[in-house]
Amino acid sequence: MIGGLFCYNHKGEVLISRVFRDDIGRNAVDAFRVNIIHARQQVRSPVTNIARTSFFHIKRSNLWLAAVTKQNVNATMVFEFLLKVVEVMQNYFGKISEENVKNNFVLIYELLDEIVDFGYPQNTDTGVLKTFITQQGVKSVTKEEQAAITSQVTGQIGWRREGIKYRRNELFLDVMEYVNLLMSPQGQVLSAHVAGKILMKSYLSGMPECKFGINDKIAMDSKGKPAEESKTKSAIAIDDCQFHQCVKLSKFESEHAISFIPPDGENELMRYRTTKDISLPFRVIPLVREVGRAKLEVKVVVKSNFKPSLLAQKIEIRIPTPLNTSGVQLICMKGKAKYKASENAIVWKIKRMGGMKESQISAEIELLATDTKKKWTRPPISMNFEVPFAPSGFKVRYLKVFEPKLNYSDHDVIKWVRYIGRSGLYETRC
Amino acid sequence: MPAVRGDGMRGLAVFISDIRNCKSKEAEIKRINKELANIRSKFKGDKTLDGYQKKKYVCKLLFIFLLGHDIDFGQIEAVNLLSSNKYTEKQIGYLFISVLISGNSELIQLIVQSIKNDLASRNPVHVSLALQCIANIGSKDMAEAFGQEIPKLLVSGDTLDVVKQSAALCLLRLFRTDPSVIPSGEWTSRIVHLLNDQHMGVVTAAASLIDALVKKNPEEYKGCISLAVSRLSRIVTSSYTDFQDYTYYFVPAPWLSVKLLRLLQNYPPPEDPGVRGRLSECLETILNKAQEPPKSKKIQHSNAKNAVLFEAISLIIHNDSEPNLLVRACNQLGQFLSHRETNLRYLALESMCILATSEFSHEAVKKHQETVINALKTERDVSVRQRAVDLLYAMCDKSNAEEIVLEMLAYLETADYSIREEMVLKVAILAEKYATDYKWYVDVILNLIRLAGDYVSEEVWYRVIQIVINRDDVQGYAAKTVFEALQAQACHENMVKVGGYILGEFGNLIAGDARSSPAVQLQLLHSKFHLCSSMTRALLLSTYVKFVNLFPEIKSHVEEIFVADSNLRSADAELQQRASEYLALSKLTSLDVLATVLEEMPPFPEKESSGLLNLLKKKRPGRVIENPDRLDEHVKKEPRETNGTSGLTLASNTEQEGGSADLLGLGVPSAGNGNGPTTNGAGAVTNNIQKFYCKNNGVLYENDIIQIGVKTECRSNLARLALFYGNKTNHPFMNFQPNVSASPALSLAILLQVKQVDSTVEAGAQFQQMVNVECVNDFDEQPDLNLVYNYNGAPQTVNIKLPISINKFIEPTEMNGEAFFSRWKNLSLPAQESQKIFKAAHPMEATDSTKAKLIGYGFQLLENIDPNPDNYVCAGIIHTRSLQIGCLLRLEPNKQAQMYRLTTRSSVEAVSQHITSVLCETLNLPFNNQVE
Repeated sequence: MIGGLFCYNHKGEVLISRVFRDDIGRNAVDAFRVNIIHARQQVRSPVTNIARTSFFHIKRSNLWLAAVTKQNVNATMVFEFLLKVVEVMQNYFGKISEENVKNNFVLIYELLDEIVDFGYPQNTDTGVLKTFITQQGVKSVTKEEQAAITSQVTGQIGWRREGIKYRRNELFLDVMEYVNLLMSPQGQVLSAHVAGKILMKSYLSGMPECKFGINDKIAMDSKGKPAEESKTKSAIAIDDCQFHQCVKLSKFESEHAISFIPPDGENELMRYRTTKDISLPFRVIPLVREVGRAKLEVKVVVKSNFKPSLLAQKIEIRIPTPLNTSGVQLICMKGKAKYKASENAIVWKIKRMGGMKESQISAEIELLATDTKKKWTRPPISMNFEVPFAPSGFKVRYLKVFEPKLNYSDHDVIKWVRYIGRSGLYETRC
Repeated sequence: MPAVRGDGMRGLAVFISDIRNCKSKEAEIKRINKELANIRSKFKGDKTLDGYQKKKYVCKLLFIFLLGHDIDFGQIEAVNLLSSNKYTEKQIGYLFISVLISGNSELIQLIVQSIKNDLASRNPVHVSLALQCIANIGSKDMAEAFGQEIPKLLVSGDTLDVVKQSAALCLLRLFRTDPSVIPSGEWTSRIVHLLNDQHMGVVTAAASLIDALVKKNPEEYKGCISLAVSRLSRIVTSSYTDFQDYTYYFVPAPWLSVKLLRLLQNYPPPEDPGVRGRLSECLETILNKAQEPPKSKKIQHSNAKNAVLFEAISLIIHNDSEPNLLVRACNQLGQFLSHRETNLRYLALESMCILATSEFSHEAVKKHQETVINALKTERDVSVRQRAVDLLYAMCDKSNAEEIVLEMLAYLETADYSIREEMVLKVAILAEKYATDYKWYVDVILNLIRLAGDYVSEEVWYRVIQIVINRDDVQGYAAKTVFEALQAQACHENMVKVGGYILGEFGNLIAGDARSSPAVQLQLLHSKFHLCSSMTRALLLSTYVKFVNLFPEIKSHVEEIFVADSNLRSADAELQQRASEYLALSKLTSLDVLATVLEEMPPFPEKESSGLLNLLKKKRPGRVIENPDRLDEHVKKEPRETNGTSGLTLASNTEQEGGSADLLGLGVPSAGNGNGPTTNGAGAVTNNIQKFYCKNNGVLYENDIIQIGVKTECRSNLARLALFYGNKTNHPFMNFQPNVSASPALSLAILLQVKQVDSTVEAGAQFQQMVNVECVNDFDEQPDLNLVYNYNGAPQTVNIKLPISINKFIEPTEMNGEAFFSRWKNLSLPAQESQKIFKAAHPMEATDSTKAKLIGYGFQLLENIDPNPDNYVCAGIIHTRSLQIGCLLRLEPNKQAQMYRLTTRSSVEAVSQHITSVLCETLNLPFNNQVE
């Protein structure tokens, strides 16, 4: 039960303030500003307790979005809700910025009224919301349309309306994965996990029922196939996953089958996390040598570790420099490298890189003597990239579409599957 | 700063404007990081920078530092700038150093060297910069490094005036961090003679320095009085055209005048008649000048003039010796009372408050009563009204008390909430102090409760009741008045309390009237009962039970009330208990018993309303203007009546804290607070240290100014002493510093831990200081208590011993005869025993006193152990941190020879000897009853 929702700009001025429950007073607005936005020390915890009131906040560009409650609520629910609010707003007016929020504040209040009732989150599906909250001004709705909206919002399948028709029935699946890694200087993996999600764009007519198969170990084993086969087919162990509300969970529980009636348009079907058998696309090997007190030699080697036929893109390696750096000389074989003083780091960018290759950069960092005895903490080297495969080994095995009422079958649907692997927090200590 | 204005530093300007244009914190940090990297690359060892660039980058670093970022480099460059010859570069260098260099930096040596060079420089500007830097850093190191040179600069003949000025101020700064920096001896007179300097700037700066020095050491700098007076008279008598640069809007050297006047306030009026005359002349001239028409209409002119005037008036008040001047000052302030300027009115009222306390000007102040009352009513600013209340309070005496109290009461109705409580207290105090007629007093206080009941604290109404009970002649009147007051529709709870108490005591005095018959009284009180808090209800229940005694005819009504569920079964334990006990009392007991139990309250011990005064002081610490005690005057005019019947004020004003005993607890007189009874008359100095061997609590030291009491608690090897310092006089003690110390040998044996105390002891106040002692080893000395304070301007010292000795750590031990003698034999080595034979100073028959002393000393007295029943046998264990020392003692009286033989045995030789010698003396001391 959220008591209220506030939106501030970077100065702490209130842009949006909506109170759902009486236990939240006006002073809560100020308490958040004083204790969090204007705090002397940056507040790092997303949850803050002030005077028995809990504040949950997220920051998007220069805006603060805070949910307030006096009750003992499920914090993850609140954050999920906040993220949904952001998503809905993005879907309505694009980028979240002070300007946009100010220009659309009537719309935002209207949306808030719809997606929260007395502090309880309601339907946050943009597709559905767009059917009755529009930006085009008031449209007179006929009785039938009104009835349709009511039945849809209150009905069993709230995420899809009836009577959708497409000439070409198409279905797009994007498997998007974020690899997170922390590696020791010696190359030992300290922690690694993949956070993945499956984005689906469906342009299907009628009320189709879909069935979706993945190479999850449990799902494969339960199919009764011999264990060996599943191994050769390299099933993966999914630590946990969650689905869009359209997936019939009862069926997943009993048969490990993912079956659903898809919402129209773009949606996130599934989220999952794996920690085992991750194929790390890149390996960073740092070499740091201190030459006296005034000089530091850094050499970093990057090795790509995937099929030579594939091509990684948008590679960026960020090597932190000491705070008393007075000059940097760089030599790199591939790509472009630059010392960015404003960020205290060397940024090395490589546009493309094939599999099983390696590249190297060497830097000479000159240091200035300072009077502080504090030693440089040596932050880790971080990396960004994009690869065209799923580092967890996740595979889509099949996707079947049944539409009993209309006359198209599974074969007529055009299906697309794409795998993207991106870096999350991909760090190597040096 | 001409540097930034004139020749640019464009880079700096651009950087600052970049920072100002940053949209977010992140952007700002990025910009700063970039700039820092740039500066670092510029400061890299192999590059050579010219002075301008260095200056620019150091400036940028300074700016970044001021934005709140850490700067950990660039100091070298800043220090380099110090050796530059250009003013702007040197200036920036010094600026950076005084802002950024920490005291323990390695560079401090370099900096000190640079400053030394500059101090020795011929260029006065460089010397000034160096002095500024020293003053800005102002650390102990700086004081050590330059403590020698600056005084030289200050008094040397060939230093420029500008530099002298800086040197004086710099010295003042160093003096504040380290008072030892000022050399004494011949320097004193040379510094004092700076007041004679030609240059007014030097004199102004020196006046501040001398003021600080005088505060520290008034005697040494006494010479400054005559110089200050002559300088002052030269300024005052001159025309404004004489000091061209130092004339501020036609007022000659106002700052210097104010400083000189302040300086003179550190001393009593000058003794030398010449100087004294000259000073009076000056003050008169200043007062005269105030009468002259203003030379300018500008506000600055009148501000400067009035500043000097007010300071002069402060000095007049401080000197308090010239009636003529005091009256004139008072008249001058009287003019300001109706001035247009609010600040002036405020200041005038404030100064007048002090004037009112002087016997010479009190009458003069009284003349302005009308104006002040008017100010109270019409003033817009609440702080000024507050001052007016203060002044009315201060100027009140017997002659005008009635009028002032009346006016204050009238004003109370409309008074600002923030000052009401204070006004209530003041009215209560004045009404009590100057009451000639108790009826009037009762009326005033009841009015007070009626008008501002919420602000009437308990002490106030406790006091009314005490007074009514102690005075037979007002009781009837009081009962009648409260009865009438209670008839109002809505009356304040405090009124109900007072009414309940008074009717319970004296309701019978008005019961004869049919309109206030017992039943009516009960009904009236009970009609308020349900609206009151439980505390008031409890009080009313007591009233009712008193009614049972006073008016047996309404007994049944009262019992009905007690029986009511809301009382007999009240959720409040206190109410329930009272109801059931009173009910039982009225039902079961005979009339005789009732009459005894519920007798009229005995009179309260007579006390001044110091409880109220303390309350007033607590409310506004440090700002209370006393209402001067003018009893002495009245004594002259009219023979003073005896204590019992004169004004309510009674002379004793010491140890009266908590004077208003709690009434609901049925009047237990407040006990003295841990301070033993005073044994000796005042005047004589008492030092009771000897007696403390055998007792733990009591008066340790007393003379006619101060009383020191001690309370000791001991547990195994730990002891805690509470020292009570009582100020017996009417003046506060200043710089009060009790210092507990132990000799080097002693400090190894015991650990002392002393709590810090305030440096001021208010008049008549008492406060305590805790001293914790831990015994590590045996010892035979006592720690010193060295007390230093200023009383009425004169320094006082008291050197005494703290009553802590080894016997405080003795634990008495019980044992039977067998055990005792076996141990006695075990300790038979000659070194373990100490024996003394001495003559008895008192009759040996007084065994009780001897026993009491031995027990008081800490031993367990073992009776019926020794074969000779006359012998005293004792045992105890001394606890120290390191070990426990068993102690056995035998005292054998020889009645024929009137001698005692005292034998002590313990495992430590020194302990045996110490105990023997102390006990010998102690046993010969006269016994007094305080032994506990």
